[in-house]
Amino acid sequence: MKPLPSFLIHRPRTVNEALKMLSELEKAKPIAGGTDLLPLLRDRVVEAKNLIDISLIPELRGIKEGRNEIRIGAATKIKDVEKSRIIFEKAPVLCDAASSIGSPQIRNLGTIGGNICNASPAADSAPSLLVLDAYAEVVSSKGSREIPVKEVFKGPKRNSLRPDELLISIKFPEPFDTSTMSFQKLGRRRGYTIAQVNVAVLLEFDGPVCCDAKISVGAAASTPIRIYEAEERLWNKRLTEEIIEDASTQCMRAVDPIDDVRASAEYRREMSHVLVRRCLMEAWNKARRLM
Amino acid sequence: MEYANILQDLLKRDEYLIVGKKVARTDALDKVLGRALFTADYVPKGTMVVKVVRSLQPHALIRKIDYKEALKIPGVIRVITASDIPGENQIGYALPDQPFLNDAKVHYVGDPLALVCASDEYSASEAVDAIKVEYNALPSHLTVDSALASDAIPIHDGGNIAVKTRIRKGDVAKGFKESTVEVEETYETPYQEHMYLETEAAYAIPEGSDKVTVIGTMQSPFLVREKVAKILGWSLSQVRIIQALTGGAFGKKDDMGPLVCAEAALAAVLVGKPAARIYDRDESVAYTPKRFPARFRYRSGADSEGKLKAIEVEITLECGAYANRSPFWLWRQTAHAAGPYYVPNAAIDGKAVYTNKVYGGSFRGFGDLAMQFAAESQMDRLAEKINIDPIEFRLKNILKTGLTTTCDQLLDHSVGIEECLRRVAEASNWSKYVPCKEGSRVRGLGVGCAYHGISTSRGTPDWSACSLILNQDGTFTYRTGICELGQGSPIGHAKIVSEIVGAPLDFIHVELPDTSSTPDAKPTHGSRGLMLGGTAAADAALKLRDNMLKVAAEMLECREDEVELKGGEAFERGTPSNKISFSELAEELYARGISPASYGFYASPKRYFDPETGLGVNYSVYTFAASVAEVEVDLETGETTVLKVWPAMDVGKAIDPLMIEGQIEGAVSQGIGFALMENLILEDGVVLNPFFKDYIIPSALDTPEIAKPILVEKPYKHSAFGAKGVGEPAIISIVPAIVNAIHNATGIRFNTLPITAERLYDAIRRSRQ
Repeated sequence: MKPLPSFLIHRPRTVNEALKMLSELEKAKPIAGGTDLLPLLRDRVVEAKNLIDISLIPELRGIKEGRNEIRIGAATKIKDVEKSRIIFEKAPVLCDAASSIGSPQIRNLGTIGGNICNASPAADSAPSLLVLDAYAEVVSSKGSREIPVKEVFKGPKRNSLRPDELLISIKFPEPFDTSTMSFQKLGRRRGYTIAQVNVAVLLEFDGPVCCDAKISVGAAASTPIRIYEAEERLWNKRLTEEIIEDASTQCMRAVDPIDDVRASAEYRREMSHVLVRRCLMEAWNKARRLM
Repeated sequence: MEYANILQDLLKRDEYLIVGKKVARTDALDKVLGRALFTADYVPKGTMVVKVVRSLQPHALIRKIDYKEALKIPGVIRVITASDIPGENQIGYALPDQPFLNDAKVHYVGDPLALVCASDEYSASEAVDAIKVEYNALPSHLTVDSALASDAIPIHDGGNIAVKTRIRKGDVAKGFKESTVEVEETYETPYQEHMYLETEAAYAIPEGSDKVTVIGTMQSPFLVREKVAKILGWSLSQVRIIQALTGGAFGKKDDMGPLVCAEAALAAVLVGKPAARIYDRDESVAYTPKRFPARFRYRSGADSEGKLKAIEVEITLECGAYANRSPFWLWRQTAHAAGPYYVPNAAIDGKAVYTNKVYGGSFRGFGDLAMQFAAESQMDRLAEKINIDPIEFRLKNILKTGLTTTCDQLLDHSVGIEECLRRVAEASNWSKYVPCKEGSRVRGLGVGCAYHGISTSRGTPDWSACSLILNQDGTFTYRTGICELGQGSPIGHAKIVSEIVGAPLDFIHVELPDTSSTPDAKPTHGSRGLMLGGTAAADAALKLRDNMLKVAAEMLECREDEVELKGGEAFERGTPSNKISFSELAEELYARGISPASYGFYASPKRYFDPETGLGVNYSVYTFAASVAEVEVDLETGETTVLKVWPAMDVGKAIDPLMIEGQIEGAVSQGIGFALMENLILEDGVVLNPFFKDYIIPSALDTPEIAKPILVEKPYKHSAFGAKGVGEPAIISIVPAIVNAIHNATGIRFNTLPITAERLYDAIRRSRQ
């Protein structure tokens, strides 16, 4: 293990100040909790001379409920997402995902924006954000853009942001009161674990009919993915265990996992089947209780 | 002296004051508040940093170590290679096969080649990268089978078998002839890493031109002193070793204490400056000793009555690059191969084999964990074949007073395994249990039994020493070479002293072991710290008590046998108001010239054994344990959840039940790790998961409910209050209990550990095909 390379740390108070630093300072990188970035710097996977600590910028912190939309500042701590009443009531699938990230210590430091920008295929918040149709608000000194969270993930540990861009917030449309959701994760132990597979689903019902279904699987491809071909099999159907099994089987075919020290590709593939089925069953059962 | 009884007679107490009671540890608060000092806390900022240059090849001859470029890096002070070592370049524990720094050959990826001394971490790290080593690669042996092949290249002179062991008891052929059922299986157990929180660390300060003091993490200060002196070519008295509080050890710091302290000391002495050597986590995981992997071919036979008739066991232990502790490890496995059962006929053969991988070393359970996983799997299989309940089958064969071990050692007292087993069966409601299924989850119950010889084996002399001083203010200074590693042995000693001299526990200050003032207690290993060290403490306390009684009797004007020592006071038993405080008593001892200090010494009863048959008195006493575990297996994912563990242990006498519970709880967690998840992954001899991130150990959430441990007390007559060691025996029965419970739940039996979710999932799928 090598010692952490030296760097300068800057603590801007506004987004504009941060953007200016990002575009002007040599080898500049934004940092919030640092729980992913510091090990990457230590292992020389990422190089930075100037770290721009964005965690003091007020508009990057906190969870707000807007008109039909929920906004989470990019530098909001995972712990705050986990404990948020708004998220618990409107998007419990994100609450469950947040509470499964790392350890309490990691959740106290790590941020939701960092979990996305780190672009790990196993990022635990990603499947939930993907089924919530979340998008990322990205700004640079040249302007701002909004892209689906899915598109922030470019490949393992690679995001699609330009070096001068900053993730400001994550927003998603407030799910209907009738939406039901589920998050499931499999790891090598119960607590403090990196996902071998993680899955989120969101179902919407019109009476007894499933009118919309969203399924996302993480750690089973180079990025977290939505599995539209499986979702389609649930649309406008009165769900049955057979239909759910069919959609889950579809997911198993759609994933493209790798072998590594955490699991074999084969196991990940099989488990994406099991976890999708469990998520769909749980969301369906929640819906049936509401009906 | 039979310490177990004499104390009771001598102390004349209806009830012990402190022994046997749950007491808050005197060191707990500082540790919880982060105020306790560990080795790295003693290192001042700016201290010279020492790093190790290591082999990147598993097996090769060294052509050249070129460090010219490294010396040009600003901040680099010196590079030390084998030729700079003033003493003997040898650190092997059992066999002289392990150079301290290699200059001829490398034996595994990570073999040390040179030490870099630099002013800071950055220049040291740069220098390590700048040192160029040229090799002539040799074919490497990465499995025991490859190392045992007829055309194998010897890793060390003398071939790839480091050591062999054997036991021949009775007539095995006859035993199998009398058997109606037979089971033969091969079991394999993997490496396990200790993953203690504090990595290896040492801080060395040279004094003048011919002395050095080292503060470090270790389990045996006197072994460290011996090895450091040997490498420096100095006498023992030139080297002073201080054991700082140690943040977890589990055996490995017995192996690593000498290495890390010698690395710091050599740098400090050659450069003439204080030196700090602190291991990185990946260095500790990838390059330092692990639990030895092992393979057991195990054949057992029993008759129709359910009596074990014979066992035939072949043990192949993988040493890795160096023999290190393998002769002792292998012997322990050989001696304990049957588990805690009576077997009339046994043939056991062991061999320890070198490979070009990270080497094995001491680890809690020391061979018995793996061995008794195999033995207990055999017991369950035999029971199944005979169609008899696994506990009933065990009870028919369990060791009792009057029976002999596999080594033909007669057990004449202190054998509590039957009671342990009966009581865990009762506590877990074993006979009424029905394995159940709910959705994709199935549950099952399993049992494991264990025994573990305490301290060293065979004829090795075993003794312990300590010193005790009554200070003028009535407090005591206690010194023992037994180390505090988190387990609390020295506090157990203090409780023994407290009981005997009648002082409150906080009157007794336990000093850190320091070879310049502490008597040698021999190592803190083999679960001997309390049993051996504590009995020496009792000896010291009894001697000092005599002097205290003599003076107190004169001061109180009563007979010596009327004096009671209690609560830091001496008083007349019949007239408690006639009393003096320990400070008054202490002053009087000093004034009268009656020694206020004592030296405690205790030697184990003699043991002996016949190397040809392996028979004899191997261990002075055994600690016994039994556990029942309930597991739940998810058939769709292969995940195993340990729901509850019911542990029992025959501890001789519980000096502190709370500390024993602590040992058992930690052992349940470490046992779950070995059974279900810990998995060191090597590719071409390179460890691929050297960090907490991917070397998975159980978290708090993986820890099951643990029933209140059942403590059986069958006192050992030669130890203080009858106590036996508990640290290692605590873990041994946990693993087979879990493995047997998985079988009970799923019908699938695993011969190889760990039973990860993925492996169990694959096995479930195969069983359905």
